[in-house]
Amino acid sequence: MTWQHFNWLAPLAIALWLLAAWSAFRHKKAVDVFMIAGILVLGAFIAGFWLNVQRPPMRTMGETRLWYSFFLSGAGYLAYRRWGYPWLLAFSCLMAGMFAAINLFKPEIHSIALMPALQSYFFVPHVTVYMLSYSILAVATLASLLQLRKIGRGKSDPKLYDFLDNLVHIGLGFLMLGLISGAAWAKEAWGHYWSWDPKETWAFITAAAYLLYLHLRLRPTVSPRLTLWTLPLAFALLMITWLGVSLLPSAAGSVHIYS
Amino acid sequence: MDKKLLWRSPWGYRESLIIVAALTVGGWLMQLIAGPFNFYLLHRPVNYAVGGLIILLAFAAVPLRNRPLVKWLSGGPLAVSLLAALLVLSLIMGLTPQMQKQPPHGDFFVRLGFTQVTDSWAFVLVYGLTLLSLAMVIARRLFRPGRRVLFFLNHAGLWLVLAAGGFGAADRERHVMHVTEGQVEWRVYAEDKQVLELPLAIRLDDFDMTEYPARLAVIDRTSGRPLPESNPHFFQIDMEQPEGRLAGWEVTLQEYLPQAVTAGAEGYQASPMPAATQAVRVIARETSGSGAGGGAIRQGWVSGGNRFLPVSPLMLDDHHVLVMTQPEPRSFTSKVKVFTQAGQEREAVIEVNKPLSIGGWMIYQFGYDNQSGRMSNYSSFELVYDPWLYPALAGMLMWALGSLGLIYRGRGAGGEK
Ligand code: HEM
Repeated sequence: MTWQHFNWLAPLAIALWLLAAWSAFRHKKAVDVFMIAGILVLGAFIAGFWLNVQRPPMRTMGETRLWYSFFLSGAGYLAYRRWGYPWLLAFSCLMAGMFAAINLFKPEIHSIALMPALQSYFFVPHVTVYMLSYSILAVATLASLLQLRKIGRGKSDPKLYDFLDNLVHIGLGFLMLGLISGAAWAKEAWGHYWSWDPKETWAFITAAAYLLYLHLRLRPTVSPRLTLWTLPLAFALLMITWLGVSLLPSAAGSVHIYS
Repeated sequence: MDKKLLWRSPWGYRESLIIVAALTVGGWLMQLIAGPFNFYLLHRPVNYAVGGLIILLAFAAVPLRNRPLVKWLSGGPLAVSLLAALLVLSLIMGLTPQMQKQPPHGDFFVRLGFTQVTDSWAFVLVYGLTLLSLAMVIARRLFRPGRRVLFFLNHAGLWLVLAAGGFGAADRERHVMHVTEGQVEWRVYAEDKQVLELPLAIRLDDFDMTEYPARLAVIDRTSGRPLPESNPHFFQIDMEQPEGRLAGWEVTLQEYLPQAVTAGAEGYQASPMPAATQAVRVIARETSGSGAGGGAIRQGWVSGGNRFLPVSPLMLDDHHVLVMTQPEPRSFTSKVKVFTQAGQEREAVIEVNKPLSIGGWMIYQFGYDNQSGRMSNYSSFELVYDPWLYPALAGMLMWALGSLGLIYRGRGAGGEK
């Protein structure tokens, strides 16, 4: 298979994912059919393309996006099967669809080269789990703000606490997978698994902030407000890790600044 | 909230925070007096002894688990305070540029160790207490029934990574070795320019690099800038999509030679010579032209050249030139034979992301002569010796499984329901 086939397979996969996302809110029964079909369509293209080019399709930005779509839809679906959050499925489908759409509408960037250090099996899983983690932790942040408002008005909502804590555990799980896959990749490419590069330092800061919340919740003797406020704070740190590190004076010479 | 007196047992958050803060401040004072922490102090076998002592203490404390001190050391409040201290110290690290060499007369913050946090006493002390506290809670939980697999994977995995990363820092060696093609090398330069002899030698048989197909651009003849100036267009060479538009010109690729040398007046021919460059034969049509029968048509070879072959642009008109950009490297490969003092020999191809592991050393592709590209007659390697690598990798694996457990169990991971 070549990129020519992608022109009709990708719209098919995107349509199936959108149907799945819609069903998650309306007809839960139909989710599995649409979702699995969408993943299979993209999976078939990747397999066919792989056979055609006779190497793992991981060399260009376009090829990398195929994997983003594949893992986001796959991991999003598994997480949905486990936890049943329709917004999580919808988010994964939208992101997966977006990456497929970029490949459709910007074919000229298929062949932008990936620099040698990025040609690693750890690259795509590393990025994918971070995307899932960011989205889940963003929702956890909103939930913490909601809970803070409820406390301000009198009393907290135990159900909301359950939801919130659940999201923090799941999101932190993905976040730490991102950290560990990054370390494994660094070992392979740069000689050491942890060098306190600015991006690594900030990833550590973020993980420590979420761990702080998680361990504070084990013994609810600290002020609930203080505990809850660690979540918006942690999310702010997460945003710095993601977007802001390259702007910091400490980042000159970081291996994570690519362009 | 209870109004327990400070320091009356059991110690809670207040006592823990005060102690951890005192430890941090004490570390800073120590730094002012004694200078940075010298990791060489932990050199083998001291690190084995300290690590063993922590494990021993942790297990020896299990029968005493109801003593206040043991309870506190292995409890949640201390864990929270340590995490907070690590957060603060790593924030300092994340906001201050970290440097390898400290200026001799730095300001107050430099002397506190802010510019190299990982080597500062405060960091080492907090890190050390974290290792002890973690070991104690792991040991305590091991002897308590109940759900503990997930707890063990996360905490023991993290403990292994922290221990191997921290103690390993004392034993780790890292060198860069330059090897000339056809030669055997076993010497490297240490930081003080002293020659060091390593217990392994590398013979470089061949260095090669491959490039991605280059891109084409139309540039302004006088300024040399790619057009349109506000948002330059680049056309990626790809024979599967041979047509493209560039700043008012329609470009069609006719023949692409990834490795070409000049032939005749203006032409190129394929050749696998190391000095070869990329060349492409194109037809360019002016799309907005006013000339007879539409726009002007130009055809010919375009090449970016290299150190040995000239640049070959295609003149389009008085103002515009079609040029090839410098290609991006796709891979660097060194064909080597490695010999160890113990008598091992191995032939291998080393690439970025494909290091060679031999006799406890990992050998990475590091650099080459950028000026000469494929013609480089030397290759440099990064050699890393880390006897603590396998414990660290085992820890990462456990920790990763623990993370999967958190994703699967969610809030239920906390045991209490
Ligand atoms: C990878 C990082 C970590 C993760 C994912 C993690 C996760 C957890 C979870 C989920 C629990 C509740 C589990 C249960 O009670 O079975 C817990 C408890 C606990 N953790 Fe951690 N933790 C991490 C790091 C740490 C660190 C660095 C410390 C200490 C310095 C620590 C100390 C504790 C303590 C004291 C408890 C309470 C255990 C008890 O009293 O039974 N944890 N942790």
